[in-house]
Amino acid sequence: MEIRKLLNESGILGVISTYQSKLTKFKTLLDLNIPNVEKALKIVRLDESILNKKYEDLTISELWKIELITKLREKVIIVGNLSLALNNQDIEYMQKLFKKLNRDFHKQIIIIDNDVKVFFNLVKTIIVIRNHEIVYKTNDFYDDDLYKYTKMPKIIEFVKFVNQDKKRINKTTDIHELIKDIYRSVS
Amino acid sequence: MKETSVTIISTNINKHILDNYKDYHVVEQKFKIDELLNYKKVIFFNVLHYYDDEKIKEIFKTLEDNNIKYINFTNNIEEALYTSYLIIYDDKKILAEGVTDEVLKCEKLIKKVGLNLPFITELSLLLKDYDLVDKIYKDNASLKGALWK
Repeated sequence: MEIRKLLNESGILGVISTYQSKLTKFKTLLDLNIPNVEKALKIVRLDESILNKKYEDLTISELWKIELITKLREKVIIVGNLSLALNNQDIEYMQKLFKKLNRDFHKQIIIIDNDVKVFFNLVKTIIVIRNHEIVYKTNDFYDDDLYKYTKMPKIIEFVKFVNQDKKRINKTTDIHELIKDIYRSVS
Repeated sequence: MKETSVTIISTNINKHILDNYKDYHVVEQKFKIDELLNYKKVIFFNVLHYYDDEKIKEIFKTLEDNNIKYINFTNNIEEALYTSYLIIYDDKKILAEGVTDEVLKCEKLIKKVGLNLPFITELSLLLKDYDLVDKIYKDNASLKGALWK
């Protein structure tokens, strides 16, 4: 119930938890009979040549994108392990896609990952789920207690380290903002 | 491959790549370090994200102390900093390989395959552009020391 409430409030929810792919093995993508598959491929930035590729020959990132295709028609889209399957460019693209799906198509999106970086500029609330229970909830990427459950992103680690004896720079999740702040601080 | 510890960075691979390393023990799930000591060669396949920096360093040190050769397949460029040899792999071919510090200088190539540089490397490079530091730093303490003397 609480997840439903948080999702209704924010539209896109970040979840720290383990995720098991729901994609079942197929021979080729054609076997999945996805409606408007060519359009769906374009949305996730896959080439049509992938249609005849055998399951065994698909890469980790292709499988991740195919799983997303199978969920595009759902009202609540649950995706997981972006940080394991996708490169930085793809993650940035998917973040924009999720925002668009939420804003223009009123889709609600649950993103399950153990890398908090995936949630930057995308989610307002992060919850931690352990054994099917919400064990922690925060709206602050700099919340120390969040990192009892997962690894701290390097940019947060750096800002906290620099400020540990004296506040020198502001909290940020953007490297370019960080550079400006360092420049102000040391000049 | 004669190097004893290697990171292979790629997001564009499938498990066929492991066919080239049949004499290696492949680790894909959470594990205990002791379990690895029975092997001479180990591959970590997208698995070290479960562990923090200190644990990864401990895992690699234990393997090195026991003369166990290891390869870490990952798409997390931060993990490149744990081994002295780095390979950037994409689309079934090696795009760059060599001493980690040297390969990380191939910024354009790394970005071309959709990856970023490790955070501390990227931050150092950007600060270098502003003449705030004069070299690439590898850890928070030395970079902080260079900036706030």
